Amino acid sequence: MSLLQVSRLTRHFGGLTAVNDLSFSIDEGEIVGLIGPNGAGKTTIFNLISGFIVPSSGDVTFNGKPLKDLKPHQVCQLGLTRTFQVVQPFPDMTALENVMMGAFVRHANPVQARDKARQVLERVNMSHKADTLGRDLTLMELKRLEVGKALATEPHLLLLDEVASGLNTVEIEEMLALVRQLNQEGITLLVVEHVMKVIMSLSHRIVVLDFGEKIAEGTPEEVAHNPAVLEAYLGEEETHA
Amino acid sequence: MNKYTIVFLAILLVVLFLLPLVAGEYLLHMAVLVLLYAYLATAWNILGGYAGQHSLGHGVFLGIGAYVSTFLFIQWRITPWLGMWVGGAVSALVGWFIGYVCFRYGLKGPYFALVTIALAEAFVYLTSNLAFIGGAKGLEVTWLGHRPDMMEFDGKSGYYYIILIMAILGVIITRWMYQRRPGYQWIAVRENEDAAEALGVDTLRAKIEATALSALMTAIGGTFYAQYFTYIGPRSVFGEGPSIQILLFAIIGGLGTVWGPAVGALVLVPIAELARAKLGGSFGGAHLLLYGAVMVLVMLFMPKGIIGVAQNALSRLMRRQPDSAQSAKEAA
Amino acid sequence: MFFSLDLLAQALVTGILIGGVFALLSVGLTLIWGVMRIINFAHGEFLMVGMYIVYFLVANQGWDPYVTLLVSVPALFVVGVAIFRLTIQPILAHSTMNQIMLTLGLSLILQNLALVFFKADPLIVQTAYSRVTFSLGPAVVRVPQLIAFGGSGLAAVLLYWFLQKTDAGRAIRAASQNREAAVLMGVDVQRTFLLAFGIGSACLGVAASLMVPFFYTSPTIGLWFGQVAFIVVVLGGMGNFIGALVGGQIIGLTEAFGAAILPGSLSRVFTFAIFILVLLFRPQGLFGGSRR
Repeated sequence: MSLLQVSRLTRHFGGLTAVNDLSFSIDEGEIVGLIGPNGAGKTTIFNLISGFIVPSSGDVTFNGKPLKDLKPHQVCQLGLTRTFQVVQPFPDMTALENVMMGAFVRHANPVQARDKARQVLERVNMSHKADTLGRDLTLMELKRLEVGKALATEPHLLLLDEVASGLNTVEIEEMLALVRQLNQEGITLLVVEHVMKVIMSLSHRIVVLDFGEKIAEGTPEEVAHNPAVLEAYLGEEETHA
Repeated sequence: MNKYTIVFLAILLVVLFLLPLVAGEYLLHMAVLVLLYAYLATAWNILGGYAGQHSLGHGVFLGIGAYVSTFLFIQWRITPWLGMWVGGAVSALVGWFIGYVCFRYGLKGPYFALVTIALAEAFVYLTSNLAFIGGAKGLEVTWLGHRPDMMEFDGKSGYYYIILIMAILGVIITRWMYQRRPGYQWIAVRENEDAAEALGVDTLRAKIEATALSALMTAIGGTFYAQYFTYIGPRSVFGEGPSIQILLFAIIGGLGTVWGPAVGALVLVPIAELARAKLGGSFGGAHLLLYGAVMVLVMLFMPKGIIGVAQNALSRLMRRQPDSAQSAKEAA
Repeated sequence: MFFSLDLLAQALVTGILIGGVFALLSVGLTLIWGVMRIINFAHGEFLMVGMYIVYFLVANQGWDPYVTLLVSVPALFVVGVAIFRLTIQPILAHSTMNQIMLTLGLSLILQNLALVFFKADPLIVQTAYSRVTFSLGPAVVRVPQLIAFGGSGLAAVLLYWFLQKTDAGRAIRAASQNREAAVLMGVDVQRTFLLAFGIGSACLGVAASLMVPFFYTSPTIGLWFGQVAFIVVVLGGMGNFIGALVGGQIIGLTEAFGAAILPGSLSRVFTFAIFILVLLFRPQGLFGGSRR
């Protein structure tokens, strides 16, 4: 049984169909990439899976449990945590307190939560900024904080929404290393990314979307040579890889 | 809490407890008012400052507490010591219900504020028209003589000690919550509700619980209010007067801080009372005029309140040292 | 409680006439709220200021109440603009709650200043029109109220023409729908805000001149009328002109029927109930889009 099972997921917004009959699954220990041109519906899918939006039809099952009627905080408590594309820190809390918010899911005791948060900050290389307010952090630090907050919830499956956007080459390498490490420690990942290089080198498998529909699925190799994928990204050209 | 704070607080406590021995009736009256509003503002702050939902009609809960305990007192001679818990329970239920209905439907910010105002007004009209609780004339708390068991005292000292303890408890409860998961969750909800949801915080429940707790505490303050002033009427408890004053002190002092509301009350109540004393004869609204002016000035020039100004000054002072940065939590 | 047809007919007439005035009060507020997302808690107090100006002109200087329009409208426009520039404009970027607190403070100041200068006594002025009435079937129509209704309608039409047909008006509508786009299109947003606030306040000047002939003036009338304006705006939809007109009529009728059916101040219960229900179940109002 897969860890995450998305079946025929559909979402309409008035006359617009943002996600259409989408099905895919994620197995324990995988890193699955989700790519597609702008507007393909990637963030909508994240919102659907994590409970921020209700699907028009279709199901999402996590660890055998249906997620459809759950609120986001319940989904998180089950072990599925998402990050936000536009970072969402708590501006007037320190980095440590930000991460503590995540830790509180598993540890009600503030002392334990604080310890856990310190450990997580160490992992995402933010210990030196533990007492800095959210509003005073740089973008890279905020991105790491975003991952840290999610990490503190001790997720089974982590949904990363464009963690690499806005970062320079060096920072991207750091982020990649972190994500791979997390995977090695047993966290399954669903990653949305625009930067091709990142997703290709990171993912075990890739799902490609266009206009809310799945147009391809497979290993990075397979997907890179898939004509439908190339067409979606590049238009009507015939390209050879 | 560092050494200096503890010493300072200890001295403060001693002074406060010894005050009735040296103070005259008028000063004691002032002290009671300051402590009462410090307490009420602290209770408001749980919902307004922490959870970030600004209620502009908190008089609802004050009035419920006052009316319930007073009614029980007048009708069946039930002691306010008991009555205040009944009033508190009723108020908490009402608060829970209001919170559920409003937040369930996603009412936020100004819309929530408008609902609370409308509710308070509705209660004014309702109580004005219900004869069995006094109608527009209100209720008078019967004087049974010096009966501590019925929360009635000769002189002001008795009342003073009660409200002093209430205020202290209010601050302790706030600080206690602040340092534990509920407090963190409320602040998270205030700062970024979506992020809080995504991190497993049941934001709806957090907001409702903040409302209920705030309602409970405010209602208990309402019982004291009734006993001290010995008269309650629809406008005097449900009207915009108490509601505005409560939130004013919290905002001026500093939203979402432990000491802000108390500081706000400490600064403003004496000024307002002096204004009322000097001009009150010819002009009953002196203190309200003052409050209005303060509100405008504070919003224009120090929106983070007195504590905010103090924090800024403090952090500028501390920036000379290697590790700076006072967070919203640490400094309060 | 008995429902006589006469009573209900009277309530209908009064409700419609008063509704027109309510609409006028609210149109200004919805304009301000819609354009700047400012919830002006001092709106009722501006009306109060206007009414004192009008009262003074009529009672002390012997003016015809409707001639005072020449003074009340520009006066309120200036007052609105001045207060806006001095207190509200500086904090436009701050949170909505801060703005609400500020306008709440303004309302307290205005109310209590009025108390200082004019004392709490309600002031009524007798004009040539005050006692003129005529019958419409079983109902009695008070001419001042009829004039108020007509005047409100006229003002509403003028305002509508202004918003639809003039550049300044279009700028206001643009800024209200999409501030960023308006800026990109070259709209001077600061000036537009100023104008919108001024016009919103000027509407109250019109209302003041129309209301003094049949309503009393006192420092605290701003409280009630301010609340009515809010209820109407929420009912009609924030920023929605037609919504304010329709909402005004609806609330005028609920008030009139409430007063006819229920004793004392209980009549307000209907109005408040509507308010709370709308906020809970359709906070965007009758005419608001589902953007909330």
